[in-house]
Amino acid sequence: MVNTLVGLTVNGLAMGVIYALIAMGLVLLVRAVGIMNFAQGDLLMLGAYISCALIVDLKLPFWAFVPVALISFAIVGIIFMATTYWPLRNASYPQAVIIATMGAGYALKELVQMAWGSIPRTMLPLVIDPKTGSAAILRFFGVNLQWQFVLIIGVCAMLILMVFILFEKLYAGRMMQAAAQDKYAAELLGIPTVLTIAVTYILVNIVVSIGGYMVAPIYFASTTLANLQLRAFAGVVLGGFGNLKGAVYGSLIIGLVESYSTLKWSSYKDAVVFIVLILVLIVRPQGIFREKIADKA
Amino acid sequence: MIKLLQNKKSQIKLSTMITLLIAVLFLITMPRINKDYKMLCLNLTLIYALCALSISIMLGMGGQMTFSAVAMMGVGGYFAANLCSGRLGFSLPTFPVLLLAPIFSAAVALIFGLILLRLRGTYFTFSTIGLVQVAWSFYSMYKPLFGGYDGISGVPKLSIFGYTPSNYNEWFYVLAAFLVIVALLVERIRKTKLGRSLAAIRDNEVAAKTLGINVYITKVIAFTIAGSICGLAGALYAMHTRYISADMFTFKVGVQYIIMAMLGGVNNTIGCIVGAILVGMLPEWLRIAEGYVNLLYGVGIILLMVFMPMGLSGVVTSIIKSLKKRHKKEVTAIVKKAEGSEV
Repeated sequence: MVNTLVGLTVNGLAMGVIYALIAMGLVLLVRAVGIMNFAQGDLLMLGAYISCALIVDLKLPFWAFVPVALISFAIVGIIFMATTYWPLRNASYPQAVIIATMGAGYALKELVQMAWGSIPRTMLPLVIDPKTGSAAILRFFGVNLQWQFVLIIGVCAMLILMVFILFEKLYAGRMMQAAAQDKYAAELLGIPTVLTIAVTYILVNIVVSIGGYMVAPIYFASTTLANLQLRAFAGVVLGGFGNLKGAVYGSLIIGLVESYSTLKWSSYKDAVVFIVLILVLIVRPQGIFREKIADKA
Repeated sequence: MIKLLQNKKSQIKLSTMITLLIAVLFLITMPRINKDYKMLCLNLTLIYALCALSISIMLGMGGQMTFSAVAMMGVGGYFAANLCSGRLGFSLPTFPVLLLAPIFSAAVALIFGLILLRLRGTYFTFSTIGLVQVAWSFYSMYKPLFGGYDGISGVPKLSIFGYTPSNYNEWFYVLAAFLVIVALLVERIRKTKLGRSLAAIRDNEVAAKTLGINVYITKVIAFTIAGSICGLAGALYAMHTRYISADMFTFKVGVQYIIMAMLGGVNNTIGCIVGAILVGMLPEWLRIAEGYVNLLYGVGIILLMVFMPMGLSGVVTSIIKSLKKRHKKEVTAIVKKAEGSEV
């Protein structure tokens, strides 16, 4: 019993941090440009595919993979901004940008399938058992854990912490927040809002793509990875909109709820997650944590 | 002659005449051009158009982005399938069930609307995503009511007072009749107090409140009406395809309905129908570019939002506006000339 419980907790936390990466990206975009990105999951999927291509097809060693991957993630972020945000920044209809991101989602899925085929691609886990050649297992006080899950928690927690420090503590992050809260005033203060928005897009895509790289060994690189974003949405709303900390906690809660619900209602896992979301929304519509910036999207 | 040009009413009538003419042409030519499979797609498209219209009520009139259309369509569809297919031990005649389905789904929508519309703006949108996901997992898992993954088959043919549409062409006219009725209803709602209240809420919720509009109740009523339209669409779908399964009610399909409404122009009844037909028939018309349809579709949506955020109808109205401006100029020139010659 304890064994399964610990296993479920680790799985839940691992998925929770992945949702948290997506959710943080969503919050950052909402704060920076006031739009909900419905292609966030597709960006994660693209990240998984790019890493897969670099590692499996090009067989890059790890030291070469990291910079090449980061640069390509950044380029994707810029392209994403240039296509879905830049031409629409003065749109009279606020829903237009959201719909455009949905369109980008369709396009990304199709592009990925055109480039790499519709069969899910496998990727070896980061830590491999030298004897069996499959995923290594960590024995922890008599509990068997998959190394990949533990690694996901570690790497993603680091990333979350880094983004948090950047946006909440450092001067650059304050600049971005100022630009997000009042673009006009920030421009008067000499903050280059175009630059801050571009940097936000790049960071968001890098963070999300690393999430894709981490989950690819578990879920394969396939277009269904894009569906992870729905739960990240739930996490964002649960934590309170426009609040980084809240989004992270909300996503962790969603991950844990999802994982524990497999104990009793494994086929209704989705339903349980979203019923929890709706219940929380009814009881506390502003989310568990108060939002910092009023509802913009 | 001058009076006729200046008479505004005749111009409005002209535009409705043109739309009517196009609609009639569409109704006559489409079944002749398209064959079996294409006709099936066209029929489904008409059903989707009903959902697009329901989104037009919520998003276009009220400014409330909602994904709930698929979930509500499922409510109507499974209601009809359960009552008619005889899997509950009895089977009711189809036409009364078809009329009951919108009422039932309106009741369901009322309950959900009362709960979810306590949330505002984006929170409401997300709660509807939650609703869609919950509904979908029940549709695809819960055997006793929804048949699980297999869905419900063996829904009997629709029979309206002894008339049963036997092929796709006959179905086309039945569906078109329902679509016209709903479209007229939506067009009517736009002109009533409800429609104007919704527009006020869309433009400025606080201002609407100060004008004495009960924002919450107005939104709930709109949500209920939208839900009942979707329920009708679901029941029609169940009886048209004679089979219903959870694949039809995923979040992805819900996104598609919103895109249909946005493509044609979210606040325009005819625009929504045109958008639904375009999105629904695009894969059929672009058979040559089979592998690229979704890519074209995605890029097309982005381009559409960049160049015409109000959809096709927005472009048409702006063209009409500029034409009218020119027309007005000509009229004033003629009037001036006439006055000049009189003097």
